[in-house]
Amino acid sequence: MSTTDRRLSSSYHAPMHWVLALVVLFAGLQGCSNDSKELVKEPAAVGGPTLLRRITESQYRSSIATIFGPEVPVVARFERPLRAHGLIAVGTSEAGISPFAMEQYDIAAQGVADFILAPENRASYLPCVPAEGSSIERECASAFIDRYGPLLFRRPLSDEQRERYLGIIESGTAHLGDFYQGLRYALVGMMTAPEFLLRVERAVEDPDRPFLRQLDSYSKAARLSFFLNNTTPDIQLLQAAATGELEDEQGLLKQVDRLLASPNFEFALRAFFRDMLEFELFDDLAKDSEIYPAFNSEVAADAQEQTLRDIIRTLMTENGDYRHIFTLAETDMTRALGVIYRQPVAPRDGWERVPLSADGSRIGIQSHVSFLALHAHPGRSSPTLRGEALRNIFLCQEVPDPPPDVNFSAIQDTSNAAMPTARERLSAHNTEPACAGCHKVMDPVGLALENYDGLGAFRERENNALIDATGFLDGMSYEDAHGLALALETHPETPRCLVEKLYRFGVGRDTVWKERAYMDYLISLFEQAEYRVPALMRIIATSENFFAITPFENEGQDRLWVSTNKRGGIDS
Amino acid sequence: MRVIKKSRKNRQPSLLVLFLASFAVHAHASNDFLRNGVMGMVISHIEFALAPNANLASNCPNGMTLNLQEIYANTPAGKRREDETDQEYLKRLSSAGKKLGRSEDGRDFCMHPQLADPEPNFHSVVGSQTAVWGLNLDGRDSAEDFSGVDGESGIDNQWYRTVGCSRSFQPNGMSLSFNIAMLTGSWGIVLEVKGVDDLRNDDQVQVSIYANGDPIRLSPSREPLSYASYSPDTDERYWTTVPGRIEDGVLSSQPADITLRSEVNSMLLERVLRDARVELTLAEDGSASGYLAGYAPVESLYDMLYGYRTGRKFGGELAPLALRSNSANGAAFVLGHTCHGAYQALYANADGHPDSETGQFTSISMQYRIKTLPAFILSASGPDVVTTGVVAAEITRGDAHVNH
Amino acid sequence: MSDITRRGFLRGSLRGAAIGVGLPLLDCLLDNSGKAFAATGKRLPVRFGTWVWGCGFIPELWIPKQVGTEFTLPAHLAPLKPYQDQMALLSGFDVKLDGVPNKPHVTGCFGLRTGIPVPDYKVKAPTLDVLISDQIGDTRFRSLEVCSAGIERSYSYRDAGSPNPSETSPLTLYHRIFGAGFQDPNAMEFTPDPRYMVHASVLSATGEERRKLMREVGAHDRQRLDEYFTALREIEQKMALQLEAPAPVENFVIPNAPPATTIDSEVENVMENHRLMADLLARALQCNQTRVFNMLFSDTASNLRRPGSSSTHHTLTHEEPVDPELGFQREVAWFAEKSMVACGEFLDALSAIPEGDGTLLDNCLVLAHSDCSIAKSHAVEGIPTMIVGRAGGRVRTGFHIAGKGDPISRIGLTVQQAMGLPIERWGTLGMETNRVITDLLV
Repeated sequence: MSTTDRRLSSSYHAPMHWVLALVVLFAGLQGCSNDSKELVKEPAAVGGPTLLRRITESQYRSSIATIFGPEVPVVARFERPLRAHGLIAVGTSEAGISPFAMEQYDIAAQGVADFILAPENRASYLPCVPAEGSSIERECASAFIDRYGPLLFRRPLSDEQRERYLGIIESGTAHLGDFYQGLRYALVGMMTAPEFLLRVERAVEDPDRPFLRQLDSYSKAARLSFFLNNTTPDIQLLQAAATGELEDEQGLLKQVDRLLASPNFEFALRAFFRDMLEFELFDDLAKDSEIYPAFNSEVAADAQEQTLRDIIRTLMTENGDYRHIFTLAETDMTRALGVIYRQPVAPRDGWERVPLSADGSRIGIQSHVSFLALHAHPGRSSPTLRGEALRNIFLCQEVPDPPPDVNFSAIQDTSNAAMPTARERLSAHNTEPACAGCHKVMDPVGLALENYDGLGAFRERENNALIDATGFLDGMSYEDAHGLALALETHPETPRCLVEKLYRFGVGRDTVWKERAYMDYLISLFEQAEYRVPALMRIIATSENFFAITPFENEGQDRLWVSTNKRGGIDS
Repeated sequence: MRVIKKSRKNRQPSLLVLFLASFAVHAHASNDFLRNGVMGMVISHIEFALAPNANLASNCPNGMTLNLQEIYANTPAGKRREDETDQEYLKRLSSAGKKLGRSEDGRDFCMHPQLADPEPNFHSVVGSQTAVWGLNLDGRDSAEDFSGVDGESGIDNQWYRTVGCSRSFQPNGMSLSFNIAMLTGSWGIVLEVKGVDDLRNDDQVQVSIYANGDPIRLSPSREPLSYASYSPDTDERYWTTVPGRIEDGVLSSQPADITLRSEVNSMLLERVLRDARVELTLAEDGSASGYLAGYAPVESLYDMLYGYRTGRKFGGELAPLALRSNSANGAAFVLGHTCHGAYQALYANADGHPDSETGQFTSISMQYRIKTLPAFILSASGPDVVTTGVVAAEITRGDAHVNH
Repeated sequence: MSDITRRGFLRGSLRGAAIGVGLPLLDCLLDNSGKAFAATGKRLPVRFGTWVWGCGFIPELWIPKQVGTEFTLPAHLAPLKPYQDQMALLSGFDVKLDGVPNKPHVTGCFGLRTGIPVPDYKVKAPTLDVLISDQIGDTRFRSLEVCSAGIERSYSYRDAGSPNPSETSPLTLYHRIFGAGFQDPNAMEFTPDPRYMVHASVLSATGEERRKLMREVGAHDRQRLDEYFTALREIEQKMALQLEAPAPVENFVIPNAPPATTIDSEVENVMENHRLMADLLARALQCNQTRVFNMLFSDTASNLRRPGSSSTHHTLTHEEPVDPELGFQREVAWFAEKSMVACGEFLDALSAIPEGDGTLLDNCLVLAHSDCSIAKSHAVEGIPTMIVGRAGGRVRTGFHIAGKGDPISRIGLTVQQAMGLPIERWGTLGMETNRVITDLLV
């Protein structure tokens, strides 16, 4: 799935022009103040604990591409990521590593090593290419480790580490009679090492704030690089960390702007929205082929790509207002999707910018197939699933689980006339007291989307009865999906939720209570920046709270870990 | 020619009707499958229009058509000898059959059917008593015409007459599943109707018939999907545009020559129909069913289904002789006919386009039953479209000249 | 043998020539708990596995009316008739919630498997299969997790952040077990590949990072780091295992690759994938690629469906009205019975493998269970559970026990003891118990 992240958007990519626009915008914000725009100051930094974060599949692949090159194949299976507090990015701080995952990392490492060291390739990747021989070339071995070790570990190797890998090259060469085999196993070792697979965050004292610590330069580099580019720090960023450039405000800004202008920024945005929109669920998505014959794996892949392309175009290329993604009337489409949207698409293989619907009734990413089909059943739509997803994903409003002892016998009335549409079938949810509390929150929102069936195709009727798509969202009422889109666009929680999620994505943990003032700060700046996402990410990346680390004694206060011993049983 | 009912134009419209009609002319109809007066369709199912309930005994009093081996087996020499094993007998049949299929100087009758002597074992349907699917193409009710399945008279289907006694054209016969090639994307047919003001009645529309430049889009269970997008084949030889009309929900197009594509055994062939038209009953959901019918030139039809003389490779050049000849002979054996028998029967049954000098009919009435689904037909030009059409070059047939 | 000595051994002596490694040499490479492999005359290993089906049962069609050894099999257990005397039916054992909210299809399943009720997927202890594999899993794979309904999830968790993912495709399962890295135990010749030795020493060297890193990370991350190093060490051991000739296995023949199949939740596809994967799992057990397995036949919120139906098994449990004549939900019952048919087919795969005097099933302890009893109300009382197989003679079978509301952790405790774990109590709060089910243990 993550390979779709690597497809570059074919739309016009103008990295520099909006970065300049951002700089101008910031000059405006920090320079003159007028009555309508208050100069908002960042509240005192709060920070969080240092984290141990597992790199995701897309980050693993991007890192190999950054370090070795995009042509190097990564052939391995990656297990399903863990989602915590609504984001996979937060799950990376809680996920362990299963034996299966380790097995696959080992296989991936061997594949990469084999490619790099293959006789026809090695000249492009190695600092030195001695003739094949059974004796170790010490200088070449050192050069090899010095080139790739720091890139893989995201910081210089310690002397002990260097010695260890030199030793591996030596013994590998000796036992296998080939210097390149020695190099191979050193590379496998480095690529299965914890410093590569896990992001070990380290903190140092903060000279300006005795009560707080901060990430050390290399941890800062990693956090910046994964947040803004979804990949491991490149050579320039590591050098900036080494020389102390990241400790300096101007130096930090320079690197942040460089990362924002990089082609990899698009991959970071894609990684974030894939995470937020829960696209990994597509791996499990099955649709009944008799009820929805147009669905297949090509459609599933295209549906995700459609939404991501529209988001990238709106938020990055056009540097537009975040809220506008809920009311987009145009989209990129392929022929496979055209069958579902009932839209002609000219290019045989590839994308065309077309209206989302012929009559303009369908707007916004919440009416894309990627949302509608994902949050529905195999054989029919689901207002409840869609309502819950909409609130959860876009408004950060969590709906509690249903009561386990849901009893429908009181509600079922088989003698009555048929209940043709979902609205009638769900009416029981909204009258039965145990159910109404939550369903009143979910169903009216999802019912607005009932004109789109379980695959996302438009329908006027269900079982021959006209569909009623009226509803209300937190005080705003609407007549149909178009109205719901406008309600979403203007809902005050919409931008707020994005700010929270983006911040959590960057730091890899849930926000803590003390960070509320910081959230307010970010939200007001987001508003002043006219809801532009690259601007928001720049604000986050250059804020003091982003790198702040709590002092030692606060560690682990939010975590409930029950340790176990291997003999079984529990001791808490 | 189908009998055309009195056109509305011949009636005296009331002023009110004229007044209202003036709005209707520019107000093209619109819904999912009809946008701005344009309706696209893809043929999702196609089959030969044959007879649904043929009585073989009365239709084929002389028996079923035979292939070369069967012909040989019917001769005294072709009987199995007492000491012959199965294997030896089959081998003998095979080589004797091959000999029967060649001229004395070794030229293959499939490639050169005009060289053969009259072949009495290719049987056509006798009489017109069976009801067949199809339209009355020439507006006349001749002796050779059949009656239709709903009792209509004058159905022109000499193609049915030709193959009605061939076993591969019987129900579940092997010649009937040629639409599988369409489903696997080897060829396809799309239509576009423009200027539709009203789906029930519109006396002026424009009908285009194109060879499909794309494979038909299927569901996971291999059913054609509605609302797919298709580009016509870039070769304009495969485009036909004619006026048409819709009457009581039935679309019909004016006769014209249509060339489409076919494929057998990786050889590109052509499906030609002269004075061809479509007649489709339109359903509410944008699908339709009816006929694609016309007169297939005998030489072209022979090449498409029997002899493959003009079979081309995908680059456009003629396929190797061995491929064409072996395919034709192999098909004749498996399907149960002889090439030259078919050739002769086609000419014997031909009923259209008489040669100006000799008067010999050169084409044969042939009809397809078709079903369509709504589709979007895109412009054929543009950088994304790949040429799939093959420009057919003239071939010199030398003494294979067709003049009886 | 200490780490240092072993690594020194690997680095020092062998110079890449073909090594004739005999068994005595190999003992020092194995963990001390290495058990004797299957060979004629030697003791056969006991295997453990769980088989999970979703959405419970129809009580009146599953629970036998009688308890003890004399009982008639109810209608839905008919597919398991051939195994009646190798089976212990355990009805009426409860997951005790102790006020913890019941997350439908999750709390019951994890409650059974960890002895602790949790309101979500954040388990508070390893599931019992992980505890057992810690004890006996010194094979190439610590355990194998498989799902026949296209879901990559399993209910085998080391802790909340570390679930073991399931294989969902028979073909990839085949390649994982019998593809690269598989050593045929009955191969005529064995030449250990020195590259495995180097690979093992590399992984071992990485393990040297452990102490230093443990000091650097926060308290809550130490456990996760520990898991990383444990997983690393397992790969190292796998490499080391490759250096020894596997003991020959009677009657074992490497299977052919299965055909490519459709992986989804349509019930007939699920049954087909299930059969193929059961067969592969049985062969893997036979030649000691693993000793612990977890088969998820259908997800706990069962996603099984019939073609053309807009409802899955799970939605039917909530929406289908009770048939007035039958007294239960007809379509739901169809899926419940189908689940038992599948269970029978799983056991067929195990008993098709001859081993020792009997079959592979004789040397297995299969714990088959669901996530709830009545799916409509997500009831976690009386979750249907079965123990099938003789576990090499360690368990008694052929009877039905009514739990009468006892904590279901009694089953988990008993099973762990049967598999040789030295534990005498298990579970927390209402499910804390030290009472084994004595009828089960020999």
